[in-house]
Amino acid sequence: MLEKILLLLSLSLSVAEGLCKPGVGEAYKVRFSIKTALGDQAYPWNKNEMFLFRAALAFAMRDFTNGEEFGVSDIHPCNETQRVSFWFVVTRPKTMDLVDKGTVEMAIKKSRNRINGAFLLTDKTLEFDGIYPTLAAPVSPDTPPWLIVFGVVMGAVSVGIIALLVYPLVQRKLKKNMDADDEDSDEETGVKTAENGANDGIYNSTFSDDERFTQM
Amino acid sequence: MEKDGRPNWDSPMQFVLACVSYAVGLGNVWRFPYLCQLHGGGGFLIPYLIMLLLEGLPLFYMELAIGQKMRLGSIGAWTSISPYLGGLGLASVVTSVYLCLYYNVINAWSFWYLFHSFQSVLPWAVCPINSNRTGPTEECEVATPTQYFFYRETLNISSSIEENGGIHTGQALCLVLAWAITYLFIVRGVKSTGKVVYFTATFPYLVLFIYLIRGVTLHGAINGLKYMFTPKMAELANPRAWINAATQIFFSLGLGFGSLIAFASYNQHNNNFQNQAIVVSLINSGTSIFASIVTFAIYGFKATLNYENCLDRMRLLLLNTFDLAEDAISMDSVLEWTEKLNTTYPEQFAQIADKVREGECNLEKELDTAVEGTGLAFIVYSEAIKNMPLPQLWSVLYFFMLLLLGMGSMLGNVTAIITPLRDFKIMSRMSNELFSGLVCVFCLLLGLGFTTTSGNYWFTIFNDYAATFSLLFIVLIEVIAVSYIYGIKRFEKDIEDMLGHRPNWYWKIMWAVTSPLLLIGLFIFYIINYIQGGTPTYQAWNKELVTVTEYPVFGQVFIVLLLVSSVSCVPLTALYAFCRKRKDRAYEKQV
Repeated sequence: MLEKILLLLSLSLSVAEGLCKPGVGEAYKVRFSIKTALGDQAYPWNKNEMFLFRAALAFAMRDFTNGEEFGVSDIHPCNETQRVSFWFVVTRPKTMDLVDKGTVEMAIKKSRNRINGAFLLTDKTLEFDGIYPTLAAPVSPDTPPWLIVFGVVMGAVSVGIIALLVYPLVQRKLKKNMDADDEDSDEETGVKTAENGANDGIYNSTFSDDERFTQM
Repeated sequence: MEKDGRPNWDSPMQFVLACVSYAVGLGNVWRFPYLCQLHGGGGFLIPYLIMLLLEGLPLFYMELAIGQKMRLGSIGAWTSISPYLGGLGLASVVTSVYLCLYYNVINAWSFWYLFHSFQSVLPWAVCPINSNRTGPTEECEVATPTQYFFYRETLNISSSIEENGGIHTGQALCLVLAWAITYLFIVRGVKSTGKVVYFTATFPYLVLFIYLIRGVTLHGAINGLKYMFTPKMAELANPRAWINAATQIFFSLGLGFGSLIAFASYNQHNNNFQNQAIVVSLINSGTSIFASIVTFAIYGFKATLNYENCLDRMRLLLLNTFDLAEDAISMDSVLEWTEKLNTTYPEQFAQIADKVREGECNLEKELDTAVEGTGLAFIVYSEAIKNMPLPQLWSVLYFFMLLLLGMGSMLGNVTAIITPLRDFKIMSRMSNELFSGLVCVFCLLLGLGFTTTSGNYWFTIFNDYAATFSLLFIVLIEVIAVSYIYGIKRFEKDIEDMLGHRPNWYWKIMWAVTSPLLLIGLFIFYIINYIQGGTPTYQAWNKELVTVTEYPVFGQVFIVLLLVSSVSCVPLTALYAFCRKRKDRAYEKQV
């Protein structure tokens, strides 16, 4: 009895190993770049990390298929290299049927963040060959920020222009009011100054310098 | 105010700063470093300084003298020298109008970039994501994010000059702002301009200094500086280096537009413009050299960064193909590993051999990419800035500096239009503010054409043809007119009247002999170049590829129109003056 079970087990193991062939069928390649991501804090890759990977992937399959009881034994890795990259296939629980690539891809896509988080890695440092990460949607604010700055500057410039245009007019008005007051006070005293008298003279144009340059 | 009612600068310092602000412009930042790189680094300084002495200084001095003596804008000044030469001033005004039309568009772009710097992630640092959210948009993937931001989001450029779309509203808004600020600066004439130039002339130097410190401390900057300062003396034998030095000095000082005449016309009669001319010219050249040191530091940083990124890409490619441990290959050992793997695993290496050849990393090649003009200012610099720590701060500083340089030059450009036109008795009936406003609105409306989708191609036409050939022609006639028609003796006496001493033999020889000869040489060279060049071409942005396309017929006709419209002012006005004199003489005979 025991021998039969042992035989079955070893058979299933060898079958499983036969299942995982790099580059063929439903196998996916995964690549870890731990040292790039974590630098000094990098953890070494060993059997425990591999176990975590298989567990994370089993979780992803369970989550996607809504309850099908995938276990760690349903994830079969092979061809591990020093790069820390290897191929793997997924089989259905309790059978040796391979799960097709499409389903695996969608399961991984759904739980990508969780898998990344388990290893403290990102989409770039934990790569699945052939599965492209879904990038975060761009945040678009209601008013583009540049328009706000533009509005501020434009407002300031408009105020400046209006101020520069209105200021002399205001000054002229104030001056006119002051001149009107002065004239009133002069008339009251009734003094005719020499200046007023000189204006009645004849204007001699011989000495004017108007036509110094050629007329255009 | 002087007795003829002409407004004055508050102090000679304002005049000097106005000239500095006008002369020191975008060309110092984006043309001179390019020429330095093209013509052998530090060695280019030799032809540059020689040309400064031979043509830059004397012509600058001459224009200031004319403006200060005649106390009129370019049209009135040249008419005073000889009634037949009024067309010279008119040609200057026409060229200034063309310049104003397209120059403020650059300021609009600077505003656009400046406003977009107030974001947590600079928009030209990353590509926008495509609709599937699987990666960056296709166009951005092939080009770089900075190129994409400039050509697609800033310009929304069409693929050729014939295809036209609508106006880019963001650009149009920025152009309106640029003209509003220009109006604000010139609305009171020299009174407002004189105060503004204190800021526009000095602040760019502060920013350049800050950038110098930042640039020199960047990783890899030393590569760029070494590249610049190792002179390649062999380049001096190339006549192109000398021609480029001559044209650079010429255009950099802003001669021939009438701005210098206009500025000088507001001077006191006895202002010592001789020293001021020397000071301004030296400051202008010094700024060019200063700016190129900063630019080369930034180049070095960018080239080193690209080179290291390239090495990193190679490293990853090798690691992934041969499944080696991550720390097996370091950045320094990439090249030796490439060799080793090539010999040990030839078949496997052959698979990626193409990629390795394509992505070959070469620091010299990165440094060799010489860029000028808007490409340098808006693409190369923004790329360098996005890689600096705290990029928003550096971006704001840099584009603010570009704005000040551009606005400072605009002051001179617009004054060159307004001053001579206001000298006409008809125009002086209109108020100052109204006239300036009309000029600004006119230029704004025409300038909106540059904000359309094919606008950048029209911009290039204006940039390359509107103010190059005509200026050479104008200044050539100017110097011949002053030396031979007006006469050096009369000119000497006028200067003695203003300064109290005659100009010495250096100036006289330059005006009478050297400068005219140099200008004739440049003139002939331009004509030969134009004829030999065949159909003029431009670089079209066609879905991220830059393709060299020929101008269509209407484009070529337009180029010819641009040139003819300014150059023909001279003979036409001379003819008009001649006809009028004949009529007057006939009338007098009758009477």
